[in-house]
Amino acid sequence: MLETVHVPESVDEAVSALRGNAVVAGGGTIVMGLVNTTPVPFTDLVSLRRAGLSGIRVEGGTAIVGATTTIEEIGADERLAFLSPVVDVFASPPLRNLATIGGNLFVPQPGGDLAVCLLALGADVVIAGPDGVRTADVAEVLDEGIRTGEIVTEVRFPVPAEGTWFYRKAMRRRFGSATIVSIAAVVVVERGVVSSARIALGGAGSRPVRSRTAEFALAGKPLDRASVAAAATAALADSTTFDDAYASAWYRARVLPVHFRRALLGE
Amino acid sequence: MRSRVVELVVNGRNRELLARPGMSLLAALRERLGITSPKRGCDVGSCGACTVLLDGKPVLSCLVPVETVDGSAVRTLEGAMRDDGTLTELQQAFVEGFATQCGFCTPGVIMAAEALLAADPDPTREDVVRAISGSTCRCTGYTAIIDAVLDAAARRRETKVEVAS
Repeated sequence: MLETVHVPESVDEAVSALRGNAVVAGGGTIVMGLVNTTPVPFTDLVSLRRAGLSGIRVEGGTAIVGATTTIEEIGADERLAFLSPVVDVFASPPLRNLATIGGNLFVPQPGGDLAVCLLALGADVVIAGPDGVRTADVAEVLDEGIRTGEIVTEVRFPVPAEGTWFYRKAMRRRFGSATIVSIAAVVVVERGVVSSARIALGGAGSRPVRSRTAEFALAGKPLDRASVAAAATAALADSTTFDDAYASAWYRARVLPVHFRRALLGE
Repeated sequence: MRSRVVELVVNGRNRELLARPGMSLLAALRERLGITSPKRGCDVGSCGACTVLLDGKPVLSCLVPVETVDGSAVRTLEGAMRDDGTLTELQQAFVEGFATQCGFCTPGVIMAAEALLAADPDPTREDVVRAISGSTCRCTGYTAIIDAVLDAAARRRETKVEVAS
């Protein structure tokens, strides 16, 4: 049963507050639903709202985003304009004004739209804990989480060059819908063929999925219909789709290659 | 466990309340301050009936632990009305356009619309759709709501022109 809500005003205070049976809240968009409706198993909630972890810097082509920066703030920042189409279909404004980029790393699929993007971007995650500060690859944080007593303080990623970012989210409605499947990709074409690709999938597993099979299928090929269609089918090999209220596992697997193709060909 | 004193500026007035551990802003407004226009439609952030303005931004008040917003400014529908009790352009447009039936979603939709019009006095239809996309309405089918917001926006712009000239 929840007994205390902590509102630390610095990273050090936040880490100190995380002793024993404590849960962290960024915007509270996942945790508060539980607090409101269930007898939660934790006694302490540590809110990072006032811990000074918000803000966006872009230095030398790298975006450095504080963990409690809201999704709406990210969508409004012109330096991160490539993410505005992602934010535009992320829940709705009153949710986006609370949800944070750091918190999104821990949201179960098919939530976690930003987490899927960060995986495609090859982001680094800065983490503070009782033993100090460390940096981890976002893939590690998405698959293994962080250690007890730690908090995410910052996310860093290279801003992709014009024309190299691809994103598509298949939804039940035009706005305010969770993900059926999503595709986020940074694909670089040089001398007419794909020289590098990082492709991440949402709604394709219990965590965001890095589709190396699709990446291999595209490597060295032109970004045309034939290669993209082949890569789209290949993406299924890395997917373990699931049933939920939005879509069945069968449906997700059926439409993933279609949305993959549309994402990369801009259809 | 012990309640904590939280201070908020609600609709322009300094208020203080006792917050149970983990009490949401929605619960604090309704149960401690008697501000009942924000509604508890789901308590998990999916329906938008609890939408209020927190420091000017629309948020789902059921998801905000009130202890984390000590000192913040909150605006609800009670505060969007005129002192003399006459309806604002938005409320008038909702009444005339039959954009409110059971009324349960209405306070949340109006607060979302107020936030939109404060940022953009001349929104497109698409802008309105985006702004209210966090609210679920089971009665109207949304079209009347969108029309009412656009209608109210037009009335506000006209009033400003009249005042200016």
